[in-house]
Amino acid sequence: MTNEELWQGVLAQIQLNISQANFATWFKNTSIVSQKEGRLLISVPNSFVREWLENKYNKQIFKIIHNLNEEIKEIKYSVGKASEKAVKKASIDLLESDQLEFQELKIDKETNLNPKYIFDSFIVGPFNELPHAAASAVAENPGYIYNPLFIYGGVGLGKTHLLQAIGNEVAKNFKTKKVRYISSEKFTSEVVLSIKNHQIDSFKSKYRAIDVLIIDDIQFLAGKEKTQEEFFHIFNVLYENNKQIILSSDCPPKAIHSLAERLRSRFEGGMTADISNPDFETRVAILKTKAQEKKVDFPIEVYNYLASSIQKNIRELEGALNRLIAYQKINNKQLDLETIKIILKNVLMSPAKVITPKKIIQTVAEFYDLKEKDILDCSRKKEIVRPRQIAMYLLREELKSSFPFIGRKFQGKDHTTAIHSYKKIAKEIEKDKKLEEEISLIKERVLSS
Amino acid sequence: MRLSILQEKLKEGLNIVERVSSKSLSLPILNNILISTEKNFLNLAATDLEVGINWWVLAKIEKEGKITIPSRLFSSFINLLPNKKIDIKEEKNNIFIECENYNTQIKGISADEFPIIPKINEGESVSFDINLFCQSVNQVVDIPVLSTTRPEISGVYFYFNKNLITITATDSFRLGEKKIFLKNSFNLKKEYSLIIPQRAVKEIINIFGEKKGELKVYFSTNQIMFESFMEETEHSQIQLVSRLIEGEYPNYKEIIPSKYATQIILDKNEFLNQIKAASLFSGKANEVKIKSGSGDKTIEISSQSSELGSNKSLIPAKIKGESVDISFNYRFLLDGILNIKSSEIIFELNSDSGPGVLKPVGDDSYIYVVMPIKAS
Repeated sequence: MTNEELWQGVLAQIQLNISQANFATWFKNTSIVSQKEGRLLISVPNSFVREWLENKYNKQIFKIIHNLNEEIKEIKYSVGKASEKAVKKASIDLLESDQLEFQELKIDKETNLNPKYIFDSFIVGPFNELPHAAASAVAENPGYIYNPLFIYGGVGLGKTHLLQAIGNEVAKNFKTKKVRYISSEKFTSEVVLSIKNHQIDSFKSKYRAIDVLIIDDIQFLAGKEKTQEEFFHIFNVLYENNKQIILSSDCPPKAIHSLAERLRSRFEGGMTADISNPDFETRVAILKTKAQEKKVDFPIEVYNYLASSIQKNIRELEGALNRLIAYQKINNKQLDLETIKIILKNVLMSPAKVITPKKIIQTVAEFYDLKEKDILDCSRKKEIVRPRQIAMYLLREELKSSFPFIGRKFQGKDHTTAIHSYKKIAKEIEKDKKLEEEISLIKERVLSS
Repeated sequence: MRLSILQEKLKEGLNIVERVSSKSLSLPILNNILISTEKNFLNLAATDLEVGINWWVLAKIEKEGKITIPSRLFSSFINLLPNKKIDIKEEKNNIFIECENYNTQIKGISADEFPIIPKINEGESVSFDINLFCQSVNQVVDIPVLSTTRPEISGVYFYFNKNLITITATDSFRLGEKKIFLKNSFNLKKEYSLIIPQRAVKEIINIFGEKKGELKVYFSTNQIMFESFMEETEHSQIQLVSRLIEGEYPNYKEIIPSKYATQIILDKNEFLNQIKAASLFSGKANEVKIKSGSGDKTIEISSQSSELGSNKSLIPAKIKGESVDISFNYRFLLDGILNIKSSEIIFELNSDSGPGVLKPVGDDSYIYVVMPIKAS
């Protein structure tokens, strides 16, 4: 007889002896936890029930149990996990008013995952079909299909959403698997902290016990050698034991600058999938879903207008939509396209970033870890010449500067030097994918700084 | 059972224990209070199976015994009696009350049916000043809301350390933390973190709030007990036992910002008044706007409603840091301001979507963090 059957037997018989009210109060949510050498441990929801069963019903329970199973000599009661009573949530109408919440409270402490990111709310279009398919496959069978899974793409396109969705899905389907989501910045600070406190061993064993390790924005490991080393070891241990590793970055592994070669090659060893910019139809679909979530509806022209004006960033798309919703609520009237254009004017036409030659040179120097002076100097070291050429190329490409002007910027170099540099880089870009990535990264930084 | 007691004393006890006796349809005995005798003491007890209260008083006991009677009926009746000696007698599950010109009989239920209020015997205990504790708890107790999805934060979090008690509550929109720094440190072997249901905490304040002296706390795995003692003799007067909420309280320290972008120091009463004024025009969203340019000497508080009109007011303040343009739910602001005792308030902000902090000037024992309404 199983524990469950035994306890059901007790409940069935005791029902006959006591009133319905008593039965409902004292026997609800009770169960047998364990049975060992004639000792029975019964879990009860709270201390009141424990006291009551111990003092009032123990004799009856014991008699029934003894009849059902003669081996049992002793019964103990312990307060176990109580299933919380269903309490109606105090209805404060806050959701409508965009009241912000502490995000920290929503996050699962164990896994670090935010439950709001799930596959169901992830909108799939041609631009993210591959990463989504890979992610779903990994979530179904973590550790065996694509390991590591490396997802990259620009800001605001849903990398974090996808990563967290995998984590949430695995946590839901495989209760025993340990999932941990962490940003690479947190990871780094954990490494630093554990070195400081001389607890590097416990840090290692903590990470080695994980079944699914998800690290977001891995590109920030660039240049942090000790962290890279620790991560390398953790990576190997997990990989050898068929534990799933999922990473995200804003660029492919090849383009992550100052990343140890051994890590780079490992990142590329599994599956790399990129999320590109969403196409028009997907953007409209995203807007519609978001509007539905917020329980509002706009005419289709509005969605079309928004989707055609904001092309690259889903987060911005959402921001613009929120703005419209807020405006509509305050003024209590349906918006037409003309008003919308006015409302969104300053969102869409954010003052164009001014790019100066100085900024380009500065960014290039920073990117290659050089001093600005080095680039401008006339050193012919290879590691300096190359960035200098890239800087010249960018000056020409982005600012349409004249070649003599570019030459003058670099301590009065001849305009032919500038022409040579520009042509050389332009040619190499066509062949070298890595260089192309590098340059687009630099461009991005120039624009965002 | 036969005993005599002064009306005033009995009334006091009934008012205390009556609070937890609940209207329970599933278990009618919970509507009753248990009356029993223990040598020279009369004991009243009530419970709703979450919280249990015991109360003792010295009384002239002629014959020991116990019985349960409906609490509302008994207490309403005792409240009406003159402040004279009351004789109480129990016979066959009835009690007979005699007091001056009154002669009354109330039907009861056998005491055997009454739930046993758990006792905490093992485990550590600490004592501290009742008044200070109740006042401190009062500063955060109203924050939580009942929630099934997050039972942990529906309670009040207590952390007992050697020389510090920290009391924290949140409803995920705002968070209050109160620290009690102890002059005499506790003799505790370890630290205790526990979550007490909000209702139990409110009862603690109601019941012990008016008392003087020491409050003793007993720790145990599933429950906690608060005890106060009689003035006249070394016997416990009130014991309140509550269950604890299971689970781990979120790591709320991460929520409290360590920096600020803007710091505003302003007069509390003026701030309170202006927020109240703005609240009248805040509409359904309860939204009030707070604005100040960098280098300004005043902040502007405004609100508008499409139906009611609009309001704008200025308040002088010492402002440091960046310019501000942020919206809050006025109710959340008021809750924070009202719990600050100093005459001036420090108000710290971090961008228009980061948490704001309210705290008293010259007192780091209280902090209130509140999330803004998303800028529209």
